[in-house]
Amino acid sequence: MTTKEYLMGNEAMGRGAVEAGVKVVTGYPGTPSSEIPEYVSRYPDVRTEWCINEKVALEIALGASLCRTRAMAVMKHNGTNVALDFLMHLANTGVRGGLVLVSADDPGANSSQNEEDSRIITHLDAHLPVFDPWCPQEAKDMVKAAFDLSEKTELCFVVRPVMRVCHARSPVALEEIAARDGTPFFEDDRSRFIMSAVREPKAGGTLRPVLRHRWLNQKQAELALIMEDLSFNYMEEGEGRTGLVACGIGYAFVKEAEQMLGKNFPVLKLGTLPLPRKKVLQFARKMDRLVVYEDSEAVVEGLIKQLLHDEGIQTEVAGRSGFLPTEGELSTEATVASLVKLYPELERSVPESAPLDMDIPIRTRTQCIGCPYRGLLHALKLVARKTHGVVAGDIGCYDAGSFPPLELQSTIYCMGSSIPVATGIAYSGSEQPVFAIIGDSTFFHNGVLGLINAVHNGVDMVVIICDNRTTAMTGFQPHPGSDTDIGGRPVAAIDIAKLCTAIGTTSAQTVNPYHIPEASEALNRAIAEKGVSIIVINAPCYLLGRRTGDIGFTPREVSVDAELCNGCKICIDYFGCPAISFSDGKAAIDQATCVHCGMCLDVCQRGAIK
Amino acid sequence: MNLNILIAGVGGQGNLFASSVLANYFTDRKYAVAAVETIGAAQRGGSVVSHLRVSDSNIYSPLIPAGKCDLLMGLETIEMLRHFRMLSADGSYLLNDYKEPTVLCNMELDTYPSDEAIMGALKQSGKKGYVIRATQCAREMGNSLLTNVVMLGALCHLSPLLNSRGVRDVLAARAPSKVREQNLKAFDAGGTLISAAIGQS
Repeated sequence: MTTKEYLMGNEAMGRGAVEAGVKVVTGYPGTPSSEIPEYVSRYPDVRTEWCINEKVALEIALGASLCRTRAMAVMKHNGTNVALDFLMHLANTGVRGGLVLVSADDPGANSSQNEEDSRIITHLDAHLPVFDPWCPQEAKDMVKAAFDLSEKTELCFVVRPVMRVCHARSPVALEEIAARDGTPFFEDDRSRFIMSAVREPKAGGTLRPVLRHRWLNQKQAELALIMEDLSFNYMEEGEGRTGLVACGIGYAFVKEAEQMLGKNFPVLKLGTLPLPRKKVLQFARKMDRLVVYEDSEAVVEGLIKQLLHDEGIQTEVAGRSGFLPTEGELSTEATVASLVKLYPELERSVPESAPLDMDIPIRTRTQCIGCPYRGLLHALKLVARKTHGVVAGDIGCYDAGSFPPLELQSTIYCMGSSIPVATGIAYSGSEQPVFAIIGDSTFFHNGVLGLINAVHNGVDMVVIICDNRTTAMTGFQPHPGSDTDIGGRPVAAIDIAKLCTAIGTTSAQTVNPYHIPEASEALNRAIAEKGVSIIVINAPCYLLGRRTGDIGFTPREVSVDAELCNGCKICIDYFGCPAISFSDGKAAIDQATCVHCGMCLDVCQRGAIK
Repeated sequence: MNLNILIAGVGGQGNLFASSVLANYFTDRKYAVAAVETIGAAQRGGSVVSHLRVSDSNIYSPLIPAGKCDLLMGLETIEMLRHFRMLSADGSYLLNDYKEPTVLCNMELDTYPSDEAIMGALKQSGKKGYVIRATQCAREMGNSLLTNVVMLGALCHLSPLLNSRGVRDVLAARAPSKVREQNLKAFDAGGTLISAAIGQS
């Protein structure tokens, strides 16, 4: 009997993998995908772990698959970029035990540095099959189907949910957890699993990479036939000769728009790449025009155009290449607007929606009240200002220092890029002192390579590593510097300062950022040194520490002495704790939100904060 | 039957817990339910919005379309105002009179709207709604973290589809046992606050 449980899309995908008999789940945290391994970690007979980065996660999953064990690697789109090199190779070797890659996209970049459609690298580039779910139930069904089909075709299957599927919650049907036969065993097949430019005697001396590429290309026909019969692709009857091609989350918005406008269009619901060719052609032949709704690039639109061109079909095709918005998330509103463009009479069914007639302040990101990094950012801001230094930033909580009031970091790109970008600034010929600021999890993920490069090549710079003992921004996942793993089991914690010393940095000072003078002194010492100087900022994340009872400070009641406050605003403009407000020329501390970390005592130079 | 509820606030206000209590109330009653939250990258202090959709037929998108929101619950003042365009023509709002200043407002680079401006704009909108002091009430009960539950208690009086007693039972089942009594008191206090507000209007 199936029961239904109210689940988040990410939990539904985790449950799908467990029901399919997955035994190894790896990943690196990243919104919107992080809850998938967290959900699976409830099942003790599945080996679940947060890895140092996404490439390592995918490599581990493939290793398990080679022994006929079902495995899944989970990441967000940026992570799939990191794993792409390995993915391009495993696409050629194929897999044994079912291998699923979940690559979660964030169209609209609600919680990302960039917008990206990972169907492009996983399908158009790596030629792997991709499932694009529209809701949590289908996401779960797709993960399960992906494991079976991966084993059947010997190909890694990709599931590409978008944020609105990952974070959606709805009742999802639970089924039994499959019992799997067979003992895991590694059996050699060097012709597949040794990817190298070696000539194959059995194939007339053709190079192995060419043969494996041919194998992958030949797989596409088999895949196309499989997609033809899957329940994830289907047609719905409707009025008129404008057909709506609804891909993934696009189906949710198309159906929503139909309900709102009170009109049923012919709909071709698609959830797979490669496309179900026959279904697409059958649908297109009946239509004068197709509009393709997909997040976020015109991938299916382009493939359909190519297919229709090859078949000599004249049906017009529009979508994200310009008819629909070319950036940002798809939405019911954008879908409705596109249909009103085609059928102006539908306008009357669009509900009125008026914003309030007033300017509403925006919220920029900032550190949490009590965050240890605020003390460091304050100290670094003053040092960088005095020395006209340039600060290269990285991905993590401390990146909020790049927004007002501090506007400290001058560059932020992707995971681990701070140290190499700072290195380039140092090489440029500019006389400005160079700083790189990077978080603990980000340092392990990719940053350490840039550090080794900088030490080896003899760059002069100061690298600040922010260690709050957790991957705080994505929801407190452990990293290699943590002493417990995803399931709370004790593991070896890698000591960042010792690692830096072993690499050969000039120094590696460890600083408690709640003591701002200590941070300032450490920075000044580091600037005076040659080579790469490290400052490890060491204090537990306040939000996590509050839960575990391990906070980095002794709580102190603080308030502003209005007599002494001269309104200089250093506490606002160079510190920016949200518990400190400013009115009538004086600072004030909101006692209801202050967490008594006491850092502001060191910020006020007049001693007005007591 | 269709009911769309949007809850807007800032991080750390218990937005998702309030939404999950309502979601469970409706799943228990066998309605179709879909929800989604939007949280920025910041752990705390950023905007948090949760959408909850309930229907006796199919729900496709977990996001409420603009102009289709029946109940707009604002845990923080400007966060509710920001989503005001989501309200349907006959939708109602419930605002907690609590203001969390923004960084730019603290720097005097931006201005948090005044009470007069806010009340004027709300009145001009012609929409039904009430303003209550839920955070103040929660603080008086000893814990500002109860704001969401005070608001939930009040919200149940704004739609015939929400049975106060039924929602209270879900809350009793879902609140951790240590704070269950406190939560139920906060829920009831929300009912008292909204009854007074309705009485005055």
